[in-house]
Amino acid sequence: MSDLDTFIQLPLTIDPQSKAISATSSSRALEAELEALNNLHRSLRTLDAPHVIPPPPIPVNPKRSANVSKLRESGNAEYRKQKYAEAIKFYTLGLQMALTRPAWEPTQLVREEVHQLYSNRAQAHMHLQNWPEASADAEMSVEAKRQGNAKAWFRRGKCLVEMGRLEEARDWVGKGLEVEGEEKELMELLKEIESKMAAVKVAEA
Amino acid sequence: MFSLDWWGLVLPLCYVVVLGGTFMTFSTIYRKRKAMESANLAPWFPPHLQRNIYLSLLHMEPEGGSEKAPKVPESVVRAALLRRAVEDIHRIIQIRTAKAACSSLLQRGSVGDDLWQRFQRAEKEMEEELRDVVMEANALAPNWGQTIFQSANEILANATLKERLDEIQAQTEKEKEWWEKRRTSIKTEFMKELGDDTEKVTSGDEPVLVDTNTPSATPSATPSGASKKKKGKK
Repeated sequence: MSDLDTFIQLPLTIDPQSKAISATSSSRALEAELEALNNLHRSLRTLDAPHVIPPPPIPVNPKRSANVSKLRESGNAEYRKQKYAEAIKFYTLGLQMALTRPAWEPTQLVREEVHQLYSNRAQAHMHLQNWPEASADAEMSVEAKRQGNAKAWFRRGKCLVEMGRLEEARDWVGKGLEVEGEEKELMELLKEIESKMAAVKVAEA
Repeated sequence: MFSLDWWGLVLPLCYVVVLGGTFMTFSTIYRKRKAMESANLAPWFPPHLQRNIYLSLLHMEPEGGSEKAPKVPESVVRAALLRRAVEDIHRIIQIRTAKAACSSLLQRGSVGDDLWQRFQRAEKEMEEELRDVVMEANALAPNWGQTIFQSANEILANATLKERLDEIQAQTEKEKEWWEKRRTSIKTEFMKELGDDTEKVTSGDEPVLVDTNTPSATPSATPSGASKKKKGKK
């Protein structure tokens, strides 16, 4: 228990103007940690005047959520007009907005917003035939929300097929089916992939 | 009555003394060793960097010129405490996930007793650490102790999510390059095939080459294309 009463004094200095903390001795872990600390301090200072500590995660300040969904709506509108590049821009802005949320706000909310935006952006990229971007976006969408996100699973599968990576596509869609259950679109895609793979085998033989 | 036979008692007394002495030496040596061992057990976690930073900020030492130690604003201290809470959450998660595995391994005898001791010590230390953080939080802002770990939890979860997303994003560049290369190679192959086709076609008939070279220049592009098709079929 003795090390609960002691600590290692670190050679820290504080900048009187910016209040940034820095260390005189340089170790990479310490520097990374101090940077995180200074970032957190900066975002703590953006809190509204009466608050000095981060408020509890719930309830959330609705302003940012409204902005994010507005950007997504504009993106969807552009998408419907088939202006895919414009739609991508709006989605990207929305993503920036959603990902720069103060760190102490609920992750669940961030995941919810981000997975839709990524999934929509993947779809727009697919219309422009930017397969690698679309596949990355779909993968990130899945990362943000694994379950109930069949569209994103399908989109990345489709992109992999388009890039000719059939093996990967089959694995991916198989995983998607495990998570999502018997999803019709995914089943069809899997069949398509398998028939393609069979065709490739025939061609090679 | 008082004529005790002292000489006769020497032997049993010696026996008792030797027996007692052996027990005492054994127990002292054994205990000392055990204490040494548990003191020398490696800690479960590496040094708590965030805690050290927080406490260092509270105990800033005066710099060379000035008499007084530099004043650290409260907001920085709060940020440092929040960082400490984040690291604590991280450690709690590690302990929770390790606990089931550790105890089942111990029951099966796959790991030694000292691992379990280290683990229990880490657990106890974490409890103390949490209590300490809550107390510090309450001292810095009223009732912060109730919410600081909720906030810290979200901060940690957000950070892990962002890390994962960044990882995927970082791979995208490579994928793009790969796809660019692959696409050009597919294109050149395709063009080659096309070239082979035209060669096949043109090898048969000379004038068609002239036609295919200027398909859109003349209004008779479609008929020439049709004628090419016919020629190809031959």
